[in-house]
Amino acid sequence: MIKFERFTLDNGLRVIFHKDATTPMVVVNTLYDVGARDESEDKTGFAHLFEHLMFGGSVNIPEFDTPLQMAGGENNAFTSNDITNYYDVLPAKNIETGLWLESDRMLSLAFTPKSLEVQRSVVIEEFKQRYLNQPYGDVWLELRPLVYKSHPYKWATIGKEISHIEEATMDDVKGFFKKHYNPSNAILCIAGNIEFEDVKSLTQKWYGDIPAVEKTVRNLPVEPKQTEFREKTIKRKVPTNAFYYAFRMVDRNHSDYLTIDVLSDSLGRDKSSRLYLSIKKEQNLASSIGAYITGSIDEGLLVISGKLNDGVSFQELDNALWKELELLSNELVPADELERLKIKIQTSKEFSDQGLLNRAMNLSMYELLSGAEKINEESEIYGRITPKDIQRVAKEVLVKTNCSLLKVKAENAE
Amino acid sequence: MPNRTLQPELIAIDSIDFVAPKKHQLSDTVSLYHMKDVPDETSRFDLYFDAGVCRGQKGIATFVNGLILSGTKEKTSNQIQSEINSLGGFLDSGISVENSVLSVYCLREYLPTIFKSVIHAIQGVTFEAKEVKEYLADRKQNLQISREKVGYLAQQNFREKLFASNERYSYTLSENDIETTSISELKAFHEKHYLNGLTKVVLVGDLSKNVVDEILDACKPMISSNPDVFTDKIENESGKFEQEKEGAVQSAIRLGRILFNKNHPDYMDFLILNTLLGDYFGSRLMTNIREDKGYTYGIGSMVAELNSTGYFLIATEVGSDVKTETLKEIQFEIEQLQSELVPNDELELVRNYMLGQLLKSADGPYAMTDLFLSAEMHGKSLDFYNDALEAIGSITSERIQELAKKYLKWDQFSIVTVG
Repeated sequence: MIKFERFTLDNGLRVIFHKDATTPMVVVNTLYDVGARDESEDKTGFAHLFEHLMFGGSVNIPEFDTPLQMAGGENNAFTSNDITNYYDVLPAKNIETGLWLESDRMLSLAFTPKSLEVQRSVVIEEFKQRYLNQPYGDVWLELRPLVYKSHPYKWATIGKEISHIEEATMDDVKGFFKKHYNPSNAILCIAGNIEFEDVKSLTQKWYGDIPAVEKTVRNLPVEPKQTEFREKTIKRKVPTNAFYYAFRMVDRNHSDYLTIDVLSDSLGRDKSSRLYLSIKKEQNLASSIGAYITGSIDEGLLVISGKLNDGVSFQELDNALWKELELLSNELVPADELERLKIKIQTSKEFSDQGLLNRAMNLSMYELLSGAEKINEESEIYGRITPKDIQRVAKEVLVKTNCSLLKVKAENAE
Repeated sequence: MPNRTLQPELIAIDSIDFVAPKKHQLSDTVSLYHMKDVPDETSRFDLYFDAGVCRGQKGIATFVNGLILSGTKEKTSNQIQSEINSLGGFLDSGISVENSVLSVYCLREYLPTIFKSVIHAIQGVTFEAKEVKEYLADRKQNLQISREKVGYLAQQNFREKLFASNERYSYTLSENDIETTSISELKAFHEKHYLNGLTKVVLVGDLSKNVVDEILDACKPMISSNPDVFTDKIENESGKFEQEKEGAVQSAIRLGRILFNKNHPDYMDFLILNTLLGDYFGSRLMTNIREDKGYTYGIGSMVAELNSTGYFLIATEVGSDVKTETLKEIQFEIEQLQSELVPNDELELVRNYMLGQLLKSADGPYAMTDLFLSAEMHGKSLDFYNDALEAIGSITSERIQELAKKYLKWDQFSIVTVG
């Protein structure tokens, strides 16, 4: 059970406080309700580029990192298709430096043209390092537009293409800040060894005078229901053929979301999962195979991916895979299998809750989704899932017309 | 209105509570360490074996590590995995040049049962032909994929030059070695380095005395009787070594030299120099090569420790067109440290940052256990960290310069690039 307090400042900033008296540290986590899905299609990669610029100085502070390091702290940030999350971990007694820095960059940015130029290069190197210069690195750049035709999930957080980042102007970036970086679009979570009264007075002191801005209403194109099987083959300079089956699934707040999570675990979480045992160990068709869900806020994906063994064709794998998928639609998952999956979920939650930073990030994320209380309710919801529930969602999700298949073919293979 | 132009007052870190796990001695050289004070239901155990890469010919140690749960006379690999997974256990196994470690994370109520399964699996592994064949085929495929990564290639080439004087340490896996491995070699290695090779056991979790006693008993038959000796005589081959990789849009750079570990009197002060040069976001290398030039997504330096020696390393991946410029800038930053004294405000920044990070490294039972183990490996107690607090507080710019001149000589580095 993760205990927390919650209040909202007059300017709309939501604050979550979680006390942990066993740690000498404190976490200041700021989640902004903006991600790559909020970009326009001709200017992708902006939310992420912007995250880099948030370290280039704010209205009253020339540079972000140095004062935080001076306080013994460190920080980082990440951008997803849904959100942008910034965190600072520092000794609890120096918390005020964290609030001073974070509130100033919520107030207004002040990065220089040089900073924009440098961060453009840094992000382009990141693009190369993660997506272009790795075997299979560009798979998601290909898979997204195969699955999503309307919804902005069709491009990756890093952007559709390097040119969008190269062409970003100062005006673009300023406009982005104005629209998305304000108190009503943020959730601040403070976690660690500090008193609630201090949290209230310190947040009022540092954030209270940031002007309120009306929250932008998000109006994203809805992805129409998929009605036909889609398939694409790309040839790459890789040593081994690889496959990615993507099945459309419900959004993060849907009541079936956690059930489909369990379904994906049954298919491919670990070395006791169905696909691992059948496709790899028994039939020896793949060298690796796994399944997971993307976990996005809007309608997401259940993905089954792996690499073929030498001499095995995509077709052989496909036949064997669909047989396994049909089993889940036709037969109930045995009780002991479901029990195993639930213990694993419970264990990973216990370990995830171990870390102070994890707790702070998760509280912020749940608050955005449907209220931070949910962080303590999911275990019970997982517990109530029955074999019949799994079968029901399997019948809806694991269907050919709901599936997009990306094959990566080794250039020199047959 | 708060004054936003002034940083709020800082409070210095003057002391840190370091907590040692309880030691249970299994033999003169082998102990079990138990960190009991865990406020939740989580737990972990680690089994350390004298079974690192350097203990076997070619890839043998790596293969035995990868096959350690591949089945016994009584149980298949699937059954062993099922025993662990059905109780929610997460398995993590790793091998380095000098040891191999097998860890399990699970809820504490299941730890005794999972521990027994794992110990039996390790003791009874039969290296059945089908399992070995499949594992080696996977290993080969993984190797082929890794070889497409400039970072992997540079790391391997760097190892060869760094450990040049010792072929057991400089060994890098080849397809030929995967193809020519024999089951009898695997069995012989297993007998010597696992059945009689347990060098350390670590438990984290609120476990009862009974549970700990049972684990101690279960470990006894496997205690290592091998001499606990590792070489301290390794020399790197200095010079510049370049490999082309067709089509690469980035080049990987690795450069460094053999250095020392916690047992050397210059270690702690050098660690401060290392942080300043390349081990935090505001470091000289990051500030210049990422934040000023935009050549890379990241660049870092580190001091890595072995049992009887250690090494210094700078690693980065940069745009292929700026490889030469990056090397020039790295050399420039090192020469700056040798020719000019570090300004006081920068030294204070590094000092405060390191103290904060040390505080964080001691936060919570898992982090604290790992911090303890890092000292224990070199025969040090937690006093090492109290001494570190003092060293960080009292380091001078002159001392930094002295160490930079002494240990960061460009012509002594092995410099490797791929891409």
